[in-house]
Amino acid sequence: MIPQLVTYRQRRPDGRWLRLYVPVVPVLLVLSPLLLLVVLAGLVACLVFRISFVGALRAVGHLLCVLRGARFELDDGHTAVYVSVR
Amino acid sequence: MNEQRRQVLQMLADGKITAAEAERLIDALAREEPESSPGAAPRPKSRPRYLRVVVQSDDDSGGDAPSRINVRVPLQLLRAGVRLTSLLPPEALLKINAELDRSGVPIDLTQLKPQHIEDLIEHLDELTVDVEDPGSKVRVFCE
Repeated sequence: MIPQLVTYRQRRPDGRWLRLYVPVVPVLLVLSPLLLLVVLAGLVACLVFRISFVGALRAVGHLLCVLRGARFELDDGHTAVYVSVR
Repeated sequence: MNEQRRQVLQMLADGKITAAEAERLIDALAREEPESSPGAAPRPKSRPRYLRVVVQSDDDSGGDAPSRINVRVPLQLLRAGVRLTSLLPPEALLKINAELDRSGVPIDLTQLKPQHIEDLIEHLDELTVDVEDPGSKVRVFCE
């Protein structure tokens, strides 16, 4: 199952927090025309570098599916960035 | 106390067997227990799902507060990454081998099979790395 929500939080220099909640599926739907171009570019790249396109597509899909639960937190003085995939 | 031991002690109390016999019986039961009771086998420990990297630094080089990095990566993500590497064409692997060799790391990636990496990831749950120095602390572990 692909991730549902990506949470991005960033602490601004003035101490306030910027919070972004990105619902993955709606964003993918909105960007689907662009994704089609990306897939075509990937197809060309796979042909050029002689990589199995189906295998690459499957691997990328699997990579996307297992991203759930990933979390990255960086807190350095005044700067703080949190990214969480759920 | 299990049922068999209780019976032995009961027979001893009733005078049906001597203390030496009871001791021998209890010893025999203790020897049999590990093999004869599969239900009492140790519970499989829960498999870790994430690889955690925690870095804490007290250096004040960047600001007035300590820095902290906390990364949690699903172990499944590592497996998916391994599958991606299996897509690399042999020519690219040869180039990587040459560069690794030049850097003093003579590893032949063409000999590295996905199964080997799978085994490596399987045993990552036993991995714990702790690095501590006066200014910083790094921990890598699975949870």
